[in-house]
Amino acid sequence: MPVEQRRAGSGTSSLTDLDRSTQVDAETDGPWCTVVWNDPVNLMSYVVFVLRRHFGYSRLVAEQLMMQVHEEGRATVSRGSRERMETDVQAMHSFGLQATLERVGEG
Amino acid sequence: MAHAFRRRADGSLACRLDSEEKAIISQVAQETADLIRADLGIDRDPEVLRKAAASEDPLRRLEAEFAGQDAREPADSAVKRLFPAASEDETLAGEFRRFGQQELADGKLTDLTAVISLLDASGPGHGEVVLDDEQALSMLRALNDVRIVLADRLDLQRDGDFDTVRMLQQIGERVEEASSEDSDQVGSDIVIAVYELLSWLQESLLRALD
Repeated sequence: MPVEQRRAGSGTSSLTDLDRSTQVDAETDGPWCTVVWNDPVNLMSYVVFVLRRHFGYSRLVAEQLMMQVHEEGRATVSRGSRERMETDVQAMHSFGLQATLERVGEG
Repeated sequence: MAHAFRRRADGSLACRLDSEEKAIISQVAQETADLIRADLGIDRDPEVLRKAAASEDPLRRLEAEFAGQDAREPADSAVKRLFPAASEDETLAGEFRRFGQQELADGKLTDLTAVISLLDASGPGHGEVVLDDEQALSMLRALNDVRIVLADRLDLQRDGDFDTVRMLQQIGERVEEASSEDSDQVGSDIVIAVYELLSWLQESLLRALD
């Protein structure tokens, strides 16, 4: 993602929110996951917008996932049944994000 | 000169673009749509296919079914970015393409067409482009898809590549001052300028939506 000026005030709230939500995700785990990959085109603000819009994530969770994509090159953005993950990957592609379907633990 | 998107009192989103900017955005949106159609072999009007699928004639229905399932692997490097493999597992990726690519292409083409119509509707000359939230979503996706195509043409592979391209362009301008510009350079200068305009417009729409 192209690096841009982050607005002051964003991402400063407590990290425990994210921990809690990832734990909830882990409990409802499916055998498949959707992975979003870094690319040099998608704006950081756009990736956050897409994650919030499609998955209904809070700004905080969406920003953490976006930063993970940006810094680590990839992030798991959802987990569940293969059918649901196919829907998620298709949605990510419709927004122009690079996304793949993986079995959990594959990557 | 373009003015950023803002949310108006009635809830709609508006930006101002001059006639040249509108013409350029329309043109690159049209070229992106043409590229997708040509590369994936979509030469049929989706409406014709929908009608054929609902036809009384079983042969026409069969034809429509095959047309929908004929998910050609993208060949162009930009179209590959727009329709990426959904898995490292080739069988899985192929299956995904077979069942989803046509729908994905329809969505992208619909967004691109919507943007072209919106720009047309704003009339000739400098004027306001007004969007509701649904149209804003089409605009965001279409701008992004066009940027993906332009980025591919500029050979942007990694974060920071665009900054490098721009730096090289500035160095090139200094070196070439006075000397006659070659046409390749002029071409990529335009691509760089359009890419910047679209990135700025997309960012401004995201801020207005926030």
